[in-house]
Amino acid sequence: MHHSIGDMIADCLQNSVEANASRIVLTVSETPQWLDVRIEDNGKGMSDEEMKRATDPFYTDGVKHKHRKVGLGLPFLIQTVEATDSTWNLRSKKGEGTILSFRLNLRHIDLPPVGDLPLAFFSAMIFDGSYELVIHRSYNGSCETEYTVTRSELKEALGSFEDAEALALLKQFLTDQESDIKEIKNGEINTGRTAQNARSREKTD
Amino acid sequence: MAKLTLEELRKMREAGKKQIDTRQTHGKEIFVVIGMGTCGIAAGAKSVLNAFIAKLDEKGITDAVVKQTGCMGLCHSEPTVEIKMPGMPDTIYGKVDAALVDQLIDEHILGKKLVSGHIIDRPAGDIMK
Repeated sequence: MHHSIGDMIADCLQNSVEANASRIVLTVSETPQWLDVRIEDNGKGMSDEEMKRATDPFYTDGVKHKHRKVGLGLPFLIQTVEATDSTWNLRSKKGEGTILSFRLNLRHIDLPPVGDLPLAFFSAMIFDGSYELVIHRSYNGSCETEYTVTRSELKEALGSFEDAEALALLKQFLTDQESDIKEIKNGEINTGRTAQNARSREKTD
Repeated sequence: MAKLTLEELRKMREAGKKQIDTRQTHGKEIFVVIGMGTCGIAAGAKSVLNAFIAKLDEKGITDAVVKQTGCMGLCHSEPTVEIKMPGMPDTIYGKVDAALVDQLIDEHILGKKLVSGHIIDRPAGDIMK
């Protein structure tokens, strides 16, 4: 299993890049109870049969990994979903693209930590190629906040995603975008005032 | 709290570029390629990527290019990092962690000496990306 949800998101995004998608849209919406993730790409897509195989840990297409017998990206996600009262969905059309979505139960004790999401976004931004990646991130707890980042805009601002200085700035920028959400979540933890607690207090009052 | 804007990011990049011009660079490029397949990610490749970015920037190594690749067929030794640079053989290091990143930068990249204990054989060409 992956160490964090961020790792799972990075892994699934890498699948989209490897499927030659020219446009990938990632939406990560969070409440104190749920983390909703949706990855939509216009890559090569899969037939029904291929989709079934993609969820089988003991199958890989033999193209991406020659001589290898396992493909663990999606199975890791499914394993986590099944262990944590969460849900997932995969829709795909050959030649058109794929939509992977999952809703993770953040209150389940067996759910891995969310981890460093900006680092996952960063990793997904810097693969080779000219694909577009749009990331919508939102949090709706004691306060609501959201941001959107676009790969082409960031690449234009930095000139390239190659040298260490550009990459350090990109990482800094993405981490900074997440700072409001981090602050709100820390505040909720420190005061015990999560949205769910607030709702249950209202009910008992 | 005001967040960084794209305009600010652009200015920070331009300010950095001016500094780079005044620094002495090696003149040739160094490629650091990090395996970022499922196996790499599961073994901690994202921390390795993070450590490389931070350390290269901190040490002012401006002629290094950091790239990611998928599975290199070395799942048993992830996280893996390949370093290609002038004056050194193309080398794949396995079981890399953030602490080893420091050593790879100091000894391999700056000192031009191989770091023993972590070098692994290149897999057959047919399983390379």
